[in-house]
Amino acid sequence: MQDSDEELIVEYLKGNQQAFKALVERYTAHLYNFSRRFVGATAAPDIVQETFIKVWKNIRKFDTSRAHFKTWMFTIARNTVIDYMRKKKIAVFSDLNKNEDESFSESLPDNVILPDEALQKLEDRKFLNKLLDQIPPMYREVLILYYQEEMTFSEIGEMLDKPLNTVKSHHRRALKQLKKMTLNNQTQ
Amino acid sequence: MKKNLYIIFKQAIYYPENQLSDDIFRAINNKEAKSAKIKLWIYSSAVALSLAGLIPAIKDLSLQFSNSGFYEYLSLAFSSNGSIISYWKEFMLSLADSLPVESLMFSLLLLFIFFISTRLVMRQFKDKLLTA
Repeated sequence: MQDSDEELIVEYLKGNQQAFKALVERYTAHLYNFSRRFVGATAAPDIVQETFIKVWKNIRKFDTSRAHFKTWMFTIARNTVIDYMRKKKIAVFSDLNKNEDESFSESLPDNVILPDEALQKLEDRKFLNKLLDQIPPMYREVLILYYQEEMTFSEIGEMLDKPLNTVKSHHRRALKQLKKMTLNNQTQ
Repeated sequence: MKKNLYIIFKQAIYYPENQLSDDIFRAINNKEAKSAKIKLWIYSSAVALSLAGLIPAIKDLSLQFSNSGFYEYLSLAFSSNGSIISYWKEFMLSLADSLPVESLMFSLLLLFIFFISTRLVMRQFKDKLLTA
């Protein structure tokens, strides 16, 4: 059976270098996919490397009783992405949040249903990736973390430092945009 | 629909080049080696400096002990016949008063730095052996 992240951390702290290597191997693809969504294919490997270096430097401070390793690591990755975007003067998640109208989220229905026609279109990998590129980063990140990383809404909320309802409303809005763009075929 | 979305999103995951994990691990190893080198250099310097400081500090301490009359007070403890026991409070105060405190503290501090830095140097070597 595969060791859990926490077991690997304990092993690494005891001096087993291979345990950290196992963590790197386990999460490189996940972090790459997440980073690439925001910084592109060229910068993503550097972001992943920087994230792991930060993880390595701070691993002794990581408290397994307070957070899951994956959530903690993705928080570091997100901050690294934000720093990069700020340096490159790209609008970051937090800037986009300022324009957010919370009352709007309340008027949204609880479930956004994507019709079969939309789902069929989304099965085209390129088409879906193109749509995801066009969705605002703060919605995009929720979709990636929820559907690709299989994090729960509360884990996402913990990572983004946002209340559960805000995360759920971002998810609803993201699906609504995805539906609208798919049906209008707005991939430009 | 949710299940379908999971499947659809999973199909759209971007994968990195195969060697990315190795590159990252190599970069971390390099950083670790560099940091270990710097630590070893700092701790070794601390060992050398504290050792170099300890020799004159101990010489000075022994001189201070001779000048302070500490040895004379101490010899009283072995030569007097019972008067020390009667006036033990006064005797202890005089003995403490004659101690060259500053010199003693300085020597102990250097000794402490020497032992701690030696321990850290040993640990660095041990880590190096473990990772080699």
